[in-house]
Amino acid sequence: MTSVQARHRRSLLGALGLTAFLLLWELALRSGLLPGSLVPLPSTIPGVLAAEVADGIWFEVVMSSLTHYSVGLLLGSLLGITVGVSAALLPAVDALHAWLARLLRPIPPLAWIPFAIIWFGINPTAAAFIISIGVFWINYFASYSAVRSVDPGYDEVARAFGQGGFLARLAKVSLPAAAPGILGGLRAGLGQGWMTVVAAELFGIPGIGQRMMEASSLLATDIVVVYMLTIAGLYAAFDFLFMTLQRRLLRWQP
Amino acid sequence: MTASQTTLPPVLRARGLRLGFDATSVLTGVDLDLHPREFVAVVGASGVGKSTLLRALAGLLAPQGGTVEIPEGRARDTRAWSMVFQSPRLFPWRRVRANVELGLEGLALSRVERRRRALEPLALVGLEELAERWPHTLSGGQQQRVGIARALAVRPQVLFMDEPFSALDAITRRRLQQELVDLRRRTEAAIVFVTHDIEEAVLLADRVMVLGGQTAAQPAGVVETLDIPLPLDDRRDHPGFADCLQAVERHIGGAH
Repeated sequence: MTSVQARHRRSLLGALGLTAFLLLWELALRSGLLPGSLVPLPSTIPGVLAAEVADGIWFEVVMSSLTHYSVGLLLGSLLGITVGVSAALLPAVDALHAWLARLLRPIPPLAWIPFAIIWFGINPTAAAFIISIGVFWINYFASYSAVRSVDPGYDEVARAFGQGGFLARLAKVSLPAAAPGILGGLRAGLGQGWMTVVAAELFGIPGIGQRMMEASSLLATDIVVVYMLTIAGLYAAFDFLFMTLQRRLLRWQP
Repeated sequence: MTASQTTLPPVLRARGLRLGFDATSVLTGVDLDLHPREFVAVVGASGVGKSTLLRALAGLLAPQGGTVEIPEGRARDTRAWSMVFQSPRLFPWRRVRANVELGLEGLALSRVERRRRALEPLALVGLEELAERWPHTLSGGQQQRVGIARALAVRPQVLFMDEPFSALDAITRRRLQQELVDLRRRTEAAIVFVTHDIEEAVLLADRVMVLGGQTAAQPAGVVETLDIPLPLDDRRDHPGFADCLQAVERHIGGAH
């Protein structure tokens, strides 16, 4: 079997698995094996999605979540990369922050919710803050270890060709050499941030998470599933776009 | 050495260099006057401190004692020295031409001049056509040629070469050795060339500096510096080649 055939076969099996899952789900409900109050019929989901979109609610909550997400992501990524790269390059910064990082690192982003609410109230800023924490750590660790593992031989080349100053080495060696690791961190943060969005909104900050809580309190499981699929779909879209960008930026790699 | 070389001031002057790490010295008592366009090869067993010496001469490494002087570059669009490393160490994230431009960045050159100054040495090593390629698409020999072009682009007074051909296969090594002989006619640079290959040293150099003589109690030093009074072309076929080789070998042997 050629590799193209093998790939086609894989895709075919994947589609088959997904269809079989939906079919079993549908049949289990229709035959009464599963109670309809617990899960919705898969076949009703497209209709419910259309209704949410027509209502304007879908667009509103998605935009709201996307706003928290992008602000938190931007803030967390920028700070994480800045601190990570500085710590990797400057021994004093490294030593200064090492214990602090060890202390704060294990605290999950959601554990900051009480403070987020005290500091910012139940509003978008609080959500963005919580999202930025998880994203920060991922980017911090990825960029720190990426810069630390840059071949010191490149630094010697920079010094041998008049580019030995801190800024020249940062721009011409450290950042481009560490780019694969830094971009890997950004991509992981993209996922982590999106998970946190929904969790942060479950506490009543307007967005996808809040809409899901609302729906579940009315036992509208079909609406819950619509937004679960929305989350998955949006994430797949971001990830695809980012991968395209990443491939372009790292086209120098073999 | 020709008369003109002796009358011009040296492009590099080292006196009483002592090198090592922490409290221990590896190599002591190195003096060197390098004259314009001169080619000095440094040979010695591995661990004797050849690469350390090269880095100290370039100022990449502080010596424990002694001095190195390299008079500053004559023009604002050149650098006093540059280096070719054992592995090519091209930046994989830069295309070939941008790699060659590295040393030109920050010099008084416009973007257009910089580009021209990068293509010039690339043509010299026969790789002008690969200017827009990524380094990983090049063979090892081609990558090392780019490394040489990168070093030549800054028009250095002194070119340091750290076992530049030792990682290449025998056929490529021979070809690049010949190219270096030809290159010397077209560049002004004086060359300090570190190698563990005695034949390579005798083949290329005007002078060969033999390092050795270290014991458990005593760091290495300069055993002898030998002139190689042979014409550059077809040295391997010259009747005096074997004698020069033997002379160097004798000193390396005597160092143990």
